Amino acid sequence: MIAMDRVSKVFSVGPVKVPALTDVSFRVAKGEFVVLHGKSGAGKTTLLKLLYRTEVPSEGDVEVLGQPLAKLSRRGVAALRQNIGVVFQDAKLLPGRTVYENIAFVLRVLGTPRGEITARTFDALRAVGLHSRARAYPAQLSQGEAQRAALARAIVRRPALLLADEPTGNLDDEMGNEILQVIRDIHAGGTTILFATHQARLATGLRRRVLVLEAGRLVKDDG
Amino acid sequence: MVGFLVGEALRDLRRAGRVAISAIVLIMLSLAAVGSFLLLSGNLGHAVSAWRDRLRVIVYLKQEPSTAAASALARKVEAMPGVAGVRYVSRAEALASLKKTLGKDASAAEHLTANPLPASLEVTPTADAATPEGARRLVERLSALPEAEEVAGGVEWVDKLARLQRLVTLVGLGFGGVLGIAAILTVTTATTLVLHARRHETEIMRLVGAPELVIQLPLLLQGMVQGLLGAALALVALAIAHAFVAPKLVPLMAAALGLGRVDFLPVLQIGAIVVAGAVLGALGGLLARGRVAA
Ligand SMILES: Nc1ncnc2c1ncn2[C@@H]1O[C@H](COP(=O)(O)OP(=O)(O)OP(=O)(O)O)[C@@H](O)[C@H]1O
Ligand SMILES: [Mg+2]
Repeated sequence: MIAMDRVSKVFSVGPVKVPALTDVSFRVAKGEFVVLHGKSGAGKTTLLKLLYRTEVPSEGDVEVLGQPLAKLSRRGVAALRQNIGVVFQDAKLLPGRTVYENIAFVLRVLGTPRGEITARTFDALRAVGLHSRARAYPAQLSQGEAQRAALARAIVRRPALLLADEPTGNLDDEMGNEILQVIRDIHAGGTTILFATHQARLATGLRRRVLVLEAGRLVKDDG
Repeated sequence: MVGFLVGEALRDLRRAGRVAISAIVLIMLSLAAVGSFLLLSGNLGHAVSAWRDRLRVIVYLKQEPSTAAASALARKVEAMPGVAGVRYVSRAEALASLKKTLGKDASAAEHLTANPLPASLEVTPTADAATPEGARRLVERLSALPEAEEVAGGVEWVDKLARLQRLVTLVGLGFGGVLGIAAILTVTTATTLVLHARRHETEIMRLVGAPELVIQLPLLLQGMVQGLLGAALALVALAIAHAFVAPKLVPLMAAALGLGRVDFLPVLQIGAIVVAGAVLGALGGLLARGRVAA
């Protein structure tokens, strides 16, 4: 499902080189639930970005859904992203649209038949327990609700792979656990999960395979 | 999908707000300018062709020929290139028609002791001889006739009218062109605003793997909607102006140019104005996209 082979990523900020990832190699099999743990700035978001190809590695090879990403055309990138659900660290909900519209938006831009859109949008909203807030605008949501809306948008197309970047970010334990439960349910449905978090409690408490990043290096993989 | 694209385009237009409205107004002004000059030029064109149809070259004869000689001469002239028709006017006929023209002042003619009018041939030029160059050659040929005393008639002034018509068209296109460029720039500004307002949507679309066409089309569409609205408003303004001004203009046009009516734009030009609006808007949209991509 995922393979990284000796991947490094260096950002250039003017003359300064910022190494975000160094020599990272690992694989994730289909159907796995993997936690990506590391302190702030360890490189979690960068690693996920390499997987849905908004960043390209400085060195090494990345393979996602059985596809090497190195020589992907623009169209190929679009096709890849259609099969990956991403919960962005900053949620990225469209402020001018309701929760319902935010989720339906993805279906509409990808040409889902009109008749299916409502049903599929509500399926996703129910899966995250947010169907009663369908008409709310993002500004009217609590953080937990916003994260669940972002999660609903990520799964509305039933992707084979879900990349979740700090979906429990700043939430209290109770809210965090609720979201975790939703992700567990999604995993139970057959979706491969890569879950990034800086919270040690979640990393160990989930009793799943954990990849630990420290300053851009993969220092632990208990898989 | 079409509904979605159009919906997004309209949403963007609302977001561009005032700038989109000024873009629409500018497109309207530029197309209304072109349209009104086309209107003027079209009607001048009618006058030109009406006058070309009525154009005659008169060959005054040295002496009144016998009936047989007259018809022989008419046949000879009819065979000349550039001649569509010939009518022989005898001296008596010329006097009769002068009296008719003078109407109640005909008594002046009664005092004439002798008929002062010469016999003549009324030559109708063919369409291609009704140009200044063609007419000059026709006049030359007719002057060479041994029977001809004098040849009168030319097309210079009709040609002046035709030149005026071309000038009006050019001024209109130039004027409209300048306004059109301003309109394109305003659509570009409006679209740049739209691009800014749309950046989150664009980002999400890219991130979920939307086809590039779906990402770009709403931009193009909102530009085209601005253009089409501008064109529609321009046509409405022209139609209203025509409805109010034309009846007042008819007597003047009739007196000056012999034109019985002032027509609105032909369907083809109405279509061209609508297409021009859509193209102006789409160009503005495309320019903004290029500007942002660069
Ligand atoms: N676009 C960029 N340009 C320059 N440096 C960057 C860029 N993106 C990330 N970095 C740097 O790369 C390193 C890793 O950043 P990254 O966002 O991947 O960390 P993270 O583990 O996701 O942190 P957090 O838990 O705070 O989200 C950091 O030092 C960061 O400053
Ligand atoms: Mg991060």
